[in-house]
Amino acid sequence: MEGKTELDFLEQILPLVKKPARYAGGEWNAVRKDWETVEYRVAFAFPDVYEVGMSHLGLQILYDIVNRRSDTLMERVFAPWTDMEEKMREGGLPLFALESRRPLLDFDMVAFTLQYEMSFSNVLNMLDLAGIPRDSGRRTDGFPLIVAGGPCAYNPEPLADFIDVFVIGEGEEAIGELLDVLIKLKRQNVSRQELLFESARLPGVYVPSLYRVFYHEGGRFSRIVPSLDGVPERITKRVVRNLDSAPFPERPIVPSTEVVHDRIMLEVFRGCTRGCRFCQAGILYRPVRERKPETVLKQAAGLVQSTGYEEISLTSLSTSDYSQVRKVVKSLLDKHACQGLGVSLPSLRADNFSVELAKEVQRVRRSSLTFAPEAGTQRLRDVINKGVKDEDLIEATGAAFREGWKAVKLYFMIGLPTETDEDLDGIVRLARAVLTLGRKAGVPRGRLRVTISASSFVPKAHTAFQWEPQTPLAELQRKQDYLSERLKEKGIVFNYHDAGLSFLEAAFARGDRRLGAVLARAVDLGCRFDGWSEHFQLDRWLEAFRLTGLDPEDYANHRYAYDEPLPWGHIDTGVSRQYLVREHQLAMAGLVTGDCRTESCPGCGVCTTLEVEPVFAGGD
Amino acid sequence: MMYEKVGPARFISHLDLLRTFGRAARRAGLPLAFTQGFNPHPKITFAAPLAVGISGEAEFADLELTEKIPAPFVARALSDALPEGLRVLEVRQLKGAGPALMAMVRSASYRVEAKTCGPVTAGELKDALGSFLSRQEILVERKNNEGKKVLYDLRPGIFVMSGRLDNDIIKIEAELKTGSSGNVRIEEVLEAFLKSSRLPVQGGYALFRNNLYTVAGKEKKMLWQT
Repeated sequence: MEGKTELDFLEQILPLVKKPARYAGGEWNAVRKDWETVEYRVAFAFPDVYEVGMSHLGLQILYDIVNRRSDTLMERVFAPWTDMEEKMREGGLPLFALESRRPLLDFDMVAFTLQYEMSFSNVLNMLDLAGIPRDSGRRTDGFPLIVAGGPCAYNPEPLADFIDVFVIGEGEEAIGELLDVLIKLKRQNVSRQELLFESARLPGVYVPSLYRVFYHEGGRFSRIVPSLDGVPERITKRVVRNLDSAPFPERPIVPSTEVVHDRIMLEVFRGCTRGCRFCQAGILYRPVRERKPETVLKQAAGLVQSTGYEEISLTSLSTSDYSQVRKVVKSLLDKHACQGLGVSLPSLRADNFSVELAKEVQRVRRSSLTFAPEAGTQRLRDVINKGVKDEDLIEATGAAFREGWKAVKLYFMIGLPTETDEDLDGIVRLARAVLTLGRKAGVPRGRLRVTISASSFVPKAHTAFQWEPQTPLAELQRKQDYLSERLKEKGIVFNYHDAGLSFLEAAFARGDRRLGAVLARAVDLGCRFDGWSEHFQLDRWLEAFRLTGLDPEDYANHRYAYDEPLPWGHIDTGVSRQYLVREHQLAMAGLVTGDCRTESCPGCGVCTTLEVEPVFAGGD
Repeated sequence: MMYEKVGPARFISHLDLLRTFGRAARRAGLPLAFTQGFNPHPKITFAAPLAVGISGEAEFADLELTEKIPAPFVARALSDALPEGLRVLEVRQLKGAGPALMAMVRSASYRVEAKTCGPVTAGELKDALGSFLSRQEILVERKNNEGKKVLYDLRPGIFVMSGRLDNDIIKIEAELKTGSSGNVRIEEVLEAFLKSSRLPVQGGYALFRNNLYTVAGKEKKMLWQT
């Protein structure tokens, strides 16, 4: 392209859309392989805009694995923003991958990652834009295989009509095995049906078209069974045994335009031992596997050199829990601070926050401080098994203010099981207490800021709260108003999400296969980018439900009995049902369960079922 | 430093360009000087911001290092660490602080390629350009700092403008006032021209900035020659 004055259609529309860098490609470390030298071509599809998708570590990991192989290539595609979509539709330009600019139709596989339910509409819209039939049954031999993975694949049913192959769990090893099989079959030129059947025999692979779903007469889900011999009844998630030896992208792509997480993301461990009862990631990514500090430091040094980033984020579900966090942060800064490198830690816990650690982190750049107490009273925090105490939070924020931080963020959830207005009052009390601490520490009034963020609880599949109904929409809105009225104070900023969005998220998070029809309707009605407040329209979704003859409340607000079949019951996280039932009962009794890092094994079953063990890097 | 910003890199915004050079320098192991403060950024100043989407064929920037390193080495190392479409063409070491590049720029030359969607003859193009340039003033709407619409006369800022036809592509060359003492953007000129001439042109056009000029004494000079 360089120096060429080609005025093809894409070149003509790029100057006319917002942030054309989203579609331009050519970033540092992007891999543009010779199309003809490989046997199998994969497009990694992220169903959101470029800046969000490029912040996703999983993309970088899989991109590296597939492009390292000599027989395969992977390119990237993101959901075009609405202005670009309009231009593409006007000019009949099909959805294309960034590296080769080839249409998705040219690829053997299009692999979507499902990070949040509200991106499902974009999955369908991207298929539409690519000229690929939405329904898997209508895709004949020549069409790319549509694959999906990521956390939302753990309840795959709402997308079952549209996806050929789901990969459940961690993809590092599964992708290679799947590619090996697909390449072999491509050489043999087998039918699509045979290809699907062979894929379904791989561990961790779910091919929804090979299963039949039954419903009770009243309409509720009854059971799901394989329709062919040799197709597994249950699909168990894939898990990487050891993170130190797992494939790791040494040369991740560095976007040329600012993205959401515009920094090195170095995963220090996977999984979480805390056992918060609302948290789906806490179940899906079990068991905990820490990287050795030597590995982290070596990888960090390589990444600083290969990316040139000015900041490194040590990522995980709860980085302050990492056994060697202090040692690693200090070593990183001792070595790289002179190059202008800053270190950031997402999601700190108030109960093991240390001022020394926070001070280390701000040696180069001061990042904001965020804590997630999740609930306003000790009673409710015990129900959700979030061990943090009021005193922890007071101590942590007090120390932060004294060390010079002027703003802290506190994340809460509303609508949690058993919540009353007293728990909401607890949020208000905590917010004010933290504000007072800031004033006492002498933070100037104009600069002191306590941000309270309240999201609405969404019961998720595979968690201890999977049987719980979501609080009705109107009640969620009342709770938001309740807090809003009481948090009107100088220095306090109150943020909350659209409760309607959480309501829909809840419907899809525990949805069954029938929701596919709703999704298709909604996309036809214009739904896309539902995670973006400027695009989300509850009315259109409700209309889609109405036209399909389904009620979102039957999904979002339904309380499942323990013995009721669950639409995601055939997907196995390795965590036992008995453990989840016990956790749910303990929650209702307000009793906590210990951390398996420091206390006895609570017996979730993941280690025995998956034949893995937690890996700890040794404590300080 | 003189560099090229073409291909996919022409969509890198001004702010992102600063970040991109900072990261490239770190990849190249060059000891860039950083500003002080909680969010240090590399000490790079660009001669004249280039709008997103325009290819820059000879762009200029000053960058400050903390150590003395031979200029050709800096050029090569930095070039090798830049993403597709960005390339360092030459680096020269400044003798002393000197005037800021930004204050020196007076004009810039551009090349435009626009695809026609109907028949145009060379004569029609010539006439259209002639009548456009013969206008006393060419008023366009701009927004001032308060967001209010104000009229701005482009004509004094259009120093040179010519054009020719290459099959179905109209090629225009122009030299426009650029810099802190006044700025005329090529997109404004082109839009005003296409609007008044009613030439049949479709969609976007390819825009190139091929040089930046300053004035030394009474003489116009390439920024690089001073």
